[in-house]
Amino acid sequence: MDSGQRSGSFKRKLLVWLGVLVVVGAILGYVGWTKFFREEPQPDWVTSSADMRFKYGSIGAEHDAGIPYWIFYVLPRMFPEKLPGPGGYASLGVPWEQGQELPVGFTKKTIGFPRVANTCAVCHTATYRASPDDTPVFIAAGNGHTTNVEAFFRYLVDCAKDPRFNADNLMTEINLVTKLSWFDSLSYRFLIIPMTKKALLAREAQFKWVYRTDFPDWGRGRDDAMNLTKYFMIKVPMDDTFGPTDMPSIWNLQKYKPEKNMRMNWAGDSHDPRSVIIDSALGLLGAPPHNKGEFLAQVDWLYDYLAKKPAPKYPFAIDKARAAAGEVVYEKICANCHASDKTGTRIPLAEVGTDKDRLDSWNKQAAIEANRIVTAMGIERPGLMEEDLNGYDVPFLDGIWLRAPYLHNGSVPTMRDMLTTPEQRAKVFYRGYDVYDPVNVGFVTQGAEAERVGTKHDTSQRGGRNMGHVFGTNLSADDKDSLIEYMKTL
Amino acid sequence: MTYLFTSADEPGWLSRLFSKRWIRILFLLLAIPTLVAGAFGIYLWHRFSGDTAVEYADIEQHFKYGSTGGERESGFPYWIFQALPQVCSEHLPGKGYASLGLIFEHGKDLPIGMSKRHFTGIDRTFLNCAVCHASTVRDTVQEKPRVYLGMPAMQLDIMGFEKFFFSCAADPKFASEFIVPEARRLVQAQGGDLDLIDRYLVYPVAVALMRERLLMLAGRFSFVMSQPDWGPGRVDTFNSAKVIFNFPMHKIADAEKNAPADFPSIWLQAPRAGMQLHWDGNNTKVEERNKSAAFGTGTTPPTIDLKNIGRIEQWLLKKEPPKYPYPVDAAKSARGAGLYKEYCADCHGASGRNFSGKAVGKVTPLQDIGTDRRRLDSYSYDLAVNQSTLYAGYPWRFQHFRKTNGYANMPLDGLWLRAPYLHNGSVPTLRDLLEPSARRPKAFYRGYDVYDPVKVGFKTNVAQEGARKYFKLDTEVPGNGNGGHEGRRFGTSLSIEDKESLVEFLKTF
Repeated sequence: MDSGQRSGSFKRKLLVWLGVLVVVGAILGYVGWTKFFREEPQPDWVTSSADMRFKYGSIGAEHDAGIPYWIFYVLPRMFPEKLPGPGGYASLGVPWEQGQELPVGFTKKTIGFPRVANTCAVCHTATYRASPDDTPVFIAAGNGHTTNVEAFFRYLVDCAKDPRFNADNLMTEINLVTKLSWFDSLSYRFLIIPMTKKALLAREAQFKWVYRTDFPDWGRGRDDAMNLTKYFMIKVPMDDTFGPTDMPSIWNLQKYKPEKNMRMNWAGDSHDPRSVIIDSALGLLGAPPHNKGEFLAQVDWLYDYLAKKPAPKYPFAIDKARAAAGEVVYEKICANCHASDKTGTRIPLAEVGTDKDRLDSWNKQAAIEANRIVTAMGIERPGLMEEDLNGYDVPFLDGIWLRAPYLHNGSVPTMRDMLTTPEQRAKVFYRGYDVYDPVNVGFVTQGAEAERVGTKHDTSQRGGRNMGHVFGTNLSADDKDSLIEYMKTL
Repeated sequence: MTYLFTSADEPGWLSRLFSKRWIRILFLLLAIPTLVAGAFGIYLWHRFSGDTAVEYADIEQHFKYGSTGGERESGFPYWIFQALPQVCSEHLPGKGYASLGLIFEHGKDLPIGMSKRHFTGIDRTFLNCAVCHASTVRDTVQEKPRVYLGMPAMQLDIMGFEKFFFSCAADPKFASEFIVPEARRLVQAQGGDLDLIDRYLVYPVAVALMRERLLMLAGRFSFVMSQPDWGPGRVDTFNSAKVIFNFPMHKIADAEKNAPADFPSIWLQAPRAGMQLHWDGNNTKVEERNKSAAFGTGTTPPTIDLKNIGRIEQWLLKKEPPKYPYPVDAAKSARGAGLYKEYCADCHGASGRNFSGKAVGKVTPLQDIGTDRRRLDSYSYDLAVNQSTLYAGYPWRFQHFRKTNGYANMPLDGLWLRAPYLHNGSVPTLRDLLEPSARRPKAFYRGYDVYDPVKVGFKTNVAQEGARKYFKLDTEVPGNGNGGHEGRRFGTSLSIEDKESLVEFLKTF
């Protein structure tokens, strides 16, 4: 044969091979996309009501912060000793409704494969019970006083650090609970498990301050939010500040009027509710939003929902006559700050005198930097206040009966303690137990069950001091009783 | 697409290759071992694959000996199971598995409640529903026991069963050199033999794996070892359920511990639909309750045999309880019917078949019923929410487990076979239940199957019969309290004549 023929057959072969490659590549690409990236909408029940959507609806955190579902599922069975107690994830105090596959604030969403991530609701859903024999009532948009965020965070990393966190062991456990297809088994074994381990291990370095032994634990219902932003989003070097604060209730957000100088967050560090929702949600995403349009639409929905969500009414009996007497005391002692032009605005630390540690954990430069980063994502919002914070916001008191423990750092267990001088307030108590105490207004914070379930709060420790806000502490016992009764009506 | 490799006018590369003699020799040399290995591979595949349970067309046989699928994940290799009573005889209370209250029918190699499946090259056996839900009755000491299906397995010492395997696994004798020869002896006694692969590969590996697994389970179930004996007919159901999730049992609250409860009867499930099931009424779905119980037979979501369990589920929907086999005084019974209507019917149903009544199948709060609270407290809210993760990914994921605040009011069908009474079996007979707790027996023997038609229940004064010892239930022991279900509303203040009439009527249920 001559060379012309030969090169002709060569070209033909090349073309055929290229064709094969394209087809194989397309098939592999499609399979890869389906198995690793294709988004499936959450089932209909998730959006069946606004409350359900708030509690279980994805905010898009599954893309970068999601844990593969079956890994999430088997970890408590493999590493129960790393949890605070028996009960799997329930031992972390996450609000968990009966009959639900996941706790409130945990989403299951398939992006290629089912993943679990979090939403605002994990820290902003409150539970209470009338007695230890009752089951909890769930209040969406409430103060997540039971959730131990720090323990949850550490738990996942601690699991990944354990040498038993490997494909063999995880697959053994997974095979006890489900039958993965051949393809899914392989991708779990060779891709998903190793990558998850790597991603979780990377968190340890990113969140070094969470592991500092010279800081007390945050405990249930608190997080060191501004440091999270500083180290994770802005990536500034670790400093020595420590400012954990209570998970706030986030109902009735329409009460905040930015144009009237009202600011959000404990220290008035953010301009308006929408900015706070964006920044908090970005914290959960752990990365710029995968789909900015969807993300902002969800933010707008959240704002709309939270703006109109009313504070829950006090569910137990109220002595009306006493409450009426209490209203008089309230007008005299409290209204000046808590129901006036000052409400929702920042007042100087010197005036309120509460624990300063939270203020030290944030600064003007950090605000400028964080705003720059969010703007660079193409997200427009007024954002964080680029100013020095010299005090704390005067909070609105709607639904205050549920918002115990009190003060920004949750250092005062009950309303009654609030009305005593700092020296007389409980020095050590247990937080995160959800049985309600209608006499003192707050949760039960002492006794065997509170100790077993809750986490210890020691007011002598950093970030947890109970000084300040001595207003009303010199009232008569009778006036205090009346005032407390009135507070139940707010 | 051969043109990719050859042009049409040339001989194929294969024919060119095979034109060389040495290639042909090499090919033969390589082909023969490949074929032999392939054949051996097919043999091994054939030997170690396959998944066949022993099937029974008859539903009663299926209930007694059919598989729930539990052998796949949890099965004991059949011949090891048969060898252990000899190898570890000192860990049994008497001779063979029968000494644990397992019931052997004449000519059967396995007790009622154990099934057999060939899986991964080895016969395996494990528990099924009947092990906890079938038992026997004798009219007199001399008579032969009659088997009743669906009644509580009031003779089975399931704690003893667990302890036997855990302590045997920890014994140095749980080793191939003791177990395999005994297993082989048993096979040979049947005229068969274990082949070389079985003797030197399959069974030694099976012994090692079984030992490892039992020791792991012994760790997870170690709370059982620290509990007072449940005795026959009882199990700490929901502390055992916590083991599914590997809860660290040494950390559970004291209030949750020591919660033995009687095995229930399981007939007439259809009219129970929608009722609060389990002693504390923690689930309203029959199917979930059944799958939950099936964990106790060793099943896991991927290995459960839904077809087999479905057969039993269907059968139990309408399975009638056995009729009371002794004479009933009609006049007395008729008198009792009036009293029943007045005192019992609202909570326990209009009759033994008509379960209507305003509180039937609903939970009575603990403060009203007053019975021992441990079983209620053993079921924690945290366990309930964890159970909602069971069968995740399947359409029948559990969604109906709920923490309650009391005990459920049960229909009384087949009541005569459900002694001892109350959820923890702390009251021996119906007649005793109609006395205030101060006058109920403080201690009595359980697990004896001779019937007492006067007091309605089993005879409770027999400590031993032959080599078989019975369990003394002490109501002072935590979890065994016999208080509650008493006071005027519960009939404990009725006259003696009224009480006897009521008991007479309840025989007809």
